[in-house]
Amino acid sequence: MAVDSEARTWKCAKCNVELVPKKAVLEYLGHTVSHEVPACPKCGKTMICQELAEGRMSEVEQQLEDK
Amino acid sequence: MKLEDSAAYAAKCFRGEPPSCAFACPFHMDIRSFLDKAAKGRWGAAYKILRDATVFPGIVAALCDQPCRQFCQRTVLGDAAIALRDVEAACLRYAKDRKPQAYVIPPKDKRIAVIGAGPAGLSCALNLAQKKYQVTVFDRESGWGGGLRSHPRFAEFDEELALQFSAVDLEFRFDSEVKSLDEVADFDAVYVATGADGESFGLLESWDKNLLTTSNPRVFMGGEICGVTLMEGIAQGITASKVIEVFLQTGKTTRPHGDHDYAEGCGRYLDHEGEVSVPLVVPSGPEGYTEEEARAEAARCLQCDCDKCLAGCEMLRRFHKDPQRIAREVYTDMVVNPPFSTRQVTREIYSCNICGYCKSVCPVDVDIGALSQFSRTARMSAGIHPAALHDFWLREMDFNTSEGAFASAPKGRETCKYAFYPGCQLGAANPEYVLRSYDFLRDTYDSGIILGCCGAPAYWAGDQARLRANVEATRRRWSEMGEPTLVFACATCESLFHLFLPEIPRVSLYELLAASDKISPAQPYPAAVVFDPCAARDDHGMESGVRELAGKAGVTLDELTEKNHCCGHGGHIRIANPSLYNEITRNRAEASDRPYIVYCVNCREVFASRSKECAHILDLVFDLPVTPRVPTLQEKRDNSVKVKRELMKQIQDIDFQPERHEWDSLRLIISDDLQKEMDQKLISEADLKEAIWRAETYCDKFYDEKDGMSMCSLIKPVITYWVQYRETAPNTYEVCSAYYHRMRLGQKE
Repeated sequence: MAVDSEARTWKCAKCNVELVPKKAVLEYLGHTVSHEVPACPKCGKTMICQELAEGRMSEVEQQLEDK
Repeated sequence: MKLEDSAAYAAKCFRGEPPSCAFACPFHMDIRSFLDKAAKGRWGAAYKILRDATVFPGIVAALCDQPCRQFCQRTVLGDAAIALRDVEAACLRYAKDRKPQAYVIPPKDKRIAVIGAGPAGLSCALNLAQKKYQVTVFDRESGWGGGLRSHPRFAEFDEELALQFSAVDLEFRFDSEVKSLDEVADFDAVYVATGADGESFGLLESWDKNLLTTSNPRVFMGGEICGVTLMEGIAQGITASKVIEVFLQTGKTTRPHGDHDYAEGCGRYLDHEGEVSVPLVVPSGPEGYTEEEARAEAARCLQCDCDKCLAGCEMLRRFHKDPQRIAREVYTDMVVNPPFSTRQVTREIYSCNICGYCKSVCPVDVDIGALSQFSRTARMSAGIHPAALHDFWLREMDFNTSEGAFASAPKGRETCKYAFYPGCQLGAANPEYVLRSYDFLRDTYDSGIILGCCGAPAYWAGDQARLRANVEATRRRWSEMGEPTLVFACATCESLFHLFLPEIPRVSLYELLAASDKISPAQPYPAAVVFDPCAARDDHGMESGVRELAGKAGVTLDELTEKNHCCGHGGHIRIANPSLYNEITRNRAEASDRPYIVYCVNCREVFASRSKECAHILDLVFDLPVTPRVPTLQEKRDNSVKVKRELMKQIQDIDFQPERHEWDSLRLIISDDLQKEMDQKLISEADLKEAIWRAETYCDKFYDEKDGMSMCSLIKPVITYWVQYRETAPNTYEVCSAYYHRMRLGQKE
């Protein structure tokens, strides 16, 4: 499954399974938002790619800081 | 926090207040806005201001005796005052739409009698009729106009009155002289405006000139009968209409809210620095100004308002809020009630360099930096601060007050009269700055040393607890060393000590270096300007010491137009507002074509990062190579450790062993571009090493079988770091990308 902009196939090193898209809850300054991110279907470990962290996530962080 | 607490910071600010001409105007018209619109040829907008303020613009533009002209600030420059009445007359000619004022509101049942159909009575009657009150105007004459009926231009005024009254319903009873108030006993309120020598019904002595009331609670009075001028009479009619309306609604007589207090007059004048003389525009024809002439005359208005802080501060300009509004929002931000209200001023508060510039240019010493500091401290105390904006520097402070700290009297001594306080960044930028300065101070002043942090990161973050703890620790250390005079190389450190440890005697390193005949500074540039840091404002000893040293080096010095303007580093705004930080640093770097001589390593880093030619004054003093390179975050940390190690060895013969971590032995390969990116994002190599070590040790990572690429994260208390990497040799990793986010992953759905 392609999970980042470079079309990589990431696997969870612990569980040795491919990541799948999963809705994750992100918390910041007392607010919560949910977003679909790649995660290990077995242990649930979640990955945040650079594009998301420095794009939409950064925007939302700033909006929540300003709230 | 109370509103008064934050409002007090900007209480003296007079930005936005009416200028002196508006204070003098009988109508307190917003002359500044009127002339601004006129100068732009926006005649409709200008007319609306004129009509709303004066009610009968056609009369006022013809007859006003223009007391405003005595206060016009054009006269300060030696010019004639603005010919306001002529511009008003032009406005009446060029405004296309002169529709009278009309409100779509339901009619009211209250009845008002206005005795006297002169301009003073009519202005009151018109305003009340516009608000849909039932108004009846009495006059003994056979028509309106009062004293103006005999004026040679009465036909013109008659037309103006007809125009303004064309949109309202009210009753005129002409040829009806009211001889006794009993005749108007069935009205809810009465306004007496019977003109000069008119009937006052015995109420003149009890007349209140502010409220326009009389001893009869429902009777009000104004106009020439009270000894005022024609214009003042029209203005009083407008005021009376408002007072009467409040009376009818509440039974009380009070000036309506929102009226500016004009009683004091305007005593504030600006210096009009940089303004040039512009002569009065003389009309080319007998009919008055042409449109172009009127616009040119209006454009002579200096638009008197204070924008001194906004003019020079990128932050204030960017957010464009008046200081008083910022002060109000600092309070309202503390009492938000989501989702019904949200914070308004967070970004501004954390984007302020807290550099003192605004206060230095403010005619009444308003300090937005102090207000920002107040807000940051209050928000930190209340736990509603965006921690991520200052996390990096607070972690730096933790290092510099623990592992990086060191204090000692000179070798073999318990106490000393002088101790060098280089500040945390001087040695981090270049160990030689500290080591060579210490050699000089030790040899010349038998000086000790204190390596530590002045607390600026905690101060700027608003972290009072951390700041106080640091202040106490510093005081203890200083006391144990025999209370020496501290020698400062960093203006920020010195200013923080001045604030929080004023009992400690201070002197600047540069003064001591300049006074020494052993120092022969080298000349990096034949000509340069000294870039004074914001924290050195008013520190004349430090400023003159640096200039003397540069002079000794033979550098021809020029001065910047604006000194002590923050380089951008102040207040630690870089994470809070990267684009503003870039704008400020660019502006400072471009303030002069000449190279800079700086004496703050943060200024040096800012300019070197922007490839601006610059040298630290200690480069000159110790003839060090002037390099445009900025050390990486890791190099800075290593430099600080090196300084401590060398000084501990030299003074106490102790081999300093910094704390070791399992991940220290990892070797990272980071390209120059990525390193630059990491330094910009304030991501340190040490955090990446820790992340990779943990990922590899506990197999806690993601990987791509295709090329062996790995990805892992490191969750620190405030920031989560991510790194994408691959192993290239045992214990060696090539870093492909590094980034972070502030959000935390919560429970999965």
